[in-house]
Amino acid sequence: MIETRLGEFEEVILLLAGILGEQAYAFKIAEEFESQTKRSVSIGAVHSSLTRLEEKGFLKSEMGKSTAERGGRRKRIYTITAYGKKTLAAARDFRQSLWDQYPGFATSKFSFGH
Amino acid sequence: MNEKISPPRLAERFLTYFLRRDLAEEVRGDLAEKFYVDLVKKSPFKAKINYWYQVVNYIRPFAIKKSTTTNINSLDMFQSYFKIGWRSLSKQRMYSAIKIGGFALGIASCLLIALFIKDELNYDQSYPDGDRIFRVVQAYNYMGESGKDVWFQAPFAKAVKDDYPEIEKAGRYNSSELFGAGSKEIRRADKIENTYEEGFVYVDQQLLDILRLPFVYGNPSKALSEPHTIVITKRKADKYFPLEDPVGKAFILNNDEKNPFKIGGVIEDFPATSHLQYDFLMTMTGVEFWDHEQSDWGATNYPTYVLLKPGADPDQLAKKMQGVVDKYLLPMWLKNGMPNAKEMTKAGWFELQPVKDIHLRSEGIADPVAHGDIRFVWLFGAVAAFILLIAMINFINLSTAKSANRAKEVGLRKTVGSLRVNIINQFLTESLIYSFFSFVVGVFLTWLLLPYFNLLSAKSIPFPWNEWQLFPVLIISALVVGILAGLYPAFYLSSFNPAAVMKGNVSRGSKSATLRSSLVVFQFTTSVVLIISTFVIYRQVEYILNKKVGFDKDQVILIQGTNTLDKKLKPFKDALRQLSQVKTVTISDYLPIRGTKRNGNGFWNEGKDNVDHSIGAQIWRVDYDYIKTMGMNIVDGRNFSENMASDSSGIIINQTMAKKLGLIDPVGKRIQNNRVWNVVGVVEDFHFESLRDQIGPLCFVLGNNSNIISVKVNTSSMSSVIQSIDGLWKKFSPNQPIRFTFLNESFARMYDDVQRMGRIFISAAGLAIIVACLGLFALSAFMAEQRSKEISIRLVLGASLKTIFNMLTFNFLKLVLISILFAIPIAWYAMHNWLQNFTYRTEITWDVFAIAGALSVLIALLTISYQSIRAAFVNPAENLKTE
Repeated sequence: MIETRLGEFEEVILLLAGILGEQAYAFKIAEEFESQTKRSVSIGAVHSSLTRLEEKGFLKSEMGKSTAERGGRRKRIYTITAYGKKTLAAARDFRQSLWDQYPGFATSKFSFGH
Repeated sequence: MNEKISPPRLAERFLTYFLRRDLAEEVRGDLAEKFYVDLVKKSPFKAKINYWYQVVNYIRPFAIKKSTTTNINSLDMFQSYFKIGWRSLSKQRMYSAIKIGGFALGIASCLLIALFIKDELNYDQSYPDGDRIFRVVQAYNYMGESGKDVWFQAPFAKAVKDDYPEIEKAGRYNSSELFGAGSKEIRRADKIENTYEEGFVYVDQQLLDILRLPFVYGNPSKALSEPHTIVITKRKADKYFPLEDPVGKAFILNNDEKNPFKIGGVIEDFPATSHLQYDFLMTMTGVEFWDHEQSDWGATNYPTYVLLKPGADPDQLAKKMQGVVDKYLLPMWLKNGMPNAKEMTKAGWFELQPVKDIHLRSEGIADPVAHGDIRFVWLFGAVAAFILLIAMINFINLSTAKSANRAKEVGLRKTVGSLRVNIINQFLTESLIYSFFSFVVGVFLTWLLLPYFNLLSAKSIPFPWNEWQLFPVLIISALVVGILAGLYPAFYLSSFNPAAVMKGNVSRGSKSATLRSSLVVFQFTTSVVLIISTFVIYRQVEYILNKKVGFDKDQVILIQGTNTLDKKLKPFKDALRQLSQVKTVTISDYLPIRGTKRNGNGFWNEGKDNVDHSIGAQIWRVDYDYIKTMGMNIVDGRNFSENMASDSSGIIINQTMAKKLGLIDPVGKRIQNNRVWNVVGVVEDFHFESLRDQIGPLCFVLGNNSNIISVKVNTSSMSSVIQSIDGLWKKFSPNQPIRFTFLNESFARMYDDVQRMGRIFISAAGLAIIVACLGLFALSAFMAEQRSKEISIRLVLGASLKTIFNMLTFNFLKLVLISILFAIPIAWYAMHNWLQNFTYRTEITWDVFAIAGALSVLIALLTISYQSIRAAFVNPAENLKTE
């Protein structure tokens, strides 16, 4: 198997970080995760995953501005790296190639009407 | 958004407690944002709960403070504590040595006594059916006379087994010298040389079945079922039959070649912790000591053991066993015409004593085995605890006294940010260092002293290296003792106010002076109590050993095992008498020392046997020379005479017997047991049992014995006498080495236990006073050091050495004097109680207290004065020049 070094949860977090852009910090990503997947998640779990992704080089981060809702505390904004994007694309392509090789699913799709 | 409600503070604190510092801002920000978002959507309670949930979910490896960093930090602190502790230990060699040495002594004595107690508690704990094995005890209380003993009638064991289904097995033994148990001359059937052996006993096969003694050779269930069989211990088997299985081989006992004893089995040696200590178990099968002895309900000679069926209640059974009296004894008593037979059945009762209790809980039960006493176990335990306490007090005293020297250190530590906890930890670590050192030294001391302690306590305890509990127990004790001893100093020292300390007005260790003084008083009170007790015990021992016992125990040699001389016995006696150093010679197995023959009988004045209650008296068979040889005094009438044929029915009674029989002028009166005797003389009362007991009635009649020849000699150069006696013996008995003892030594041995207790007490008292004095020594050194400037100034201003000496000494002496005042009533009370054990006892006179008091003052004075004199002789310039 190709080493994508991405778990399912990690892949979703990475994608969400890319989607959220300027607003990609732990709390927002967790909120977004919950609203998109209807699965509950703790901020800690998301944060843990973000840290791991950063260690692997898929993300980079820097401290952003402080806002009043946070009691004047700053937030850490995550941005996806080029390597991260490449890995996401590779993961998607790999999965696509698997789908393409999957005859049952492909056939059933076409023969559904019979 | 509700501004007033903020995240739960406890959760926030918890978060900061574990969260990595560099993550704190973003995480707290995120969580706060989440909380306020939640507050809008949910209730504040739910928001708070969710906040907690989020916090708990941050307990993840990436977010937690690196545990390695915290570890390194506390390890560093510990290293620092350890280093400082080590430095202060090695900086003050004398104090450290005294702390550790005193502690180690305390620990060593505690360990020794713990080993002793463990050994005592270990007795008889390992029989496979131990919980169901009981020794039968009979108790009586009749006309004010009460007692308990373990001797039963020969048919008793079988009767109870047959009559009570709760009893699975019942077995007996007989260890009476009177029946030939005890000691014998023994040899293999194929050898001619006799060897003297002790530890013979008659035993039922059933008793082997009950105790289930471990067999090395032979069939345990049949080893003693044949007549003339014997079971021996492993060590005796190794001695007589090295490297072979001796089952089926035979021994000749006491030259009786017609009745060899066939070996039925070999058992493991009885462990040292068994109340039964025998080497040769002769079968009871086929044995009858006289006609119908085995069915005789009139003589009690057999300690009896029963094995109960599982679940049987021993107390109820003991009550039911009363039936034995009605069924077997009452008919016999009635037949013999005993006037008070009916009353007698109600005067006695039975008890079942668990075999595990025999060693320590047989107080007040007369039996033929040596045992310990649970009260001694407690007493020794208490003594050990006190010595340890004294040692711990030294530790506390020295630590608080030296606090002045550490005060600046504590002040500085606090100033640079040490918490109180750190300082407590610091001093507890130091205390633990001392404690562990002391334990190491203490264990070493124990190992060193154990052989001497074994001598002292007449035990053979090995050092328990191979017991797995030893080291965990030692380490835990070191921790506990170290923390206990260090607790007070740690809290005391850590309570210093840094500002005050740094400014210089240090408390100089004087705040705690009252506490220190009271601890010193406690130490010395304990020591003085022990000293006084030792004095009293020694007085009592001296008193017993030198009391006029009514016979002359000096210069009497006892030749034992003479029964094998057989027909040559009389010629040997005559030959002995020819020796120039020999005054008189007597042949009698009955001697006024423990371990020789005894024989009890009931006596009446003639014709009163159906009217009066009988007088239980010893009836001793002696020869014409007995009273002369033993140096006893005839106070009325005369000794037996060879010229009077009628003396074969003559009897000499002691004064107690005359009194009990109510004879005012006894000579010429007639008394009876199973026959009638003429009283020919009255012998002055002499002690024939331990001096713990009252002298009982006793009488002499003429008779033949053969086991012991007593020789009174007229010289004190014993070695030459023994040489000539030995030369004579070799001519008469070439195959058997001579065996002799001295009457006075055998007498002294009767008081071994008292002497042993005296020795143990003297050691304990010695230890206690040494440890206490070590503490005093260090304290006085410290005081002299503290006041060195004051002393120097006084010296410069013209104080005399005497003034300085008095000034330094009096403070401590005062404490010792107070201790003596406390100690006297305590010691008096304790020793007064102890002396109640003895019928013949010394008085506790005031001089005991005076001597003990003077002694402790003297010892304390010597201890202190060394320091006082040193302080007084110092050159004042030395101490003042730095000022």
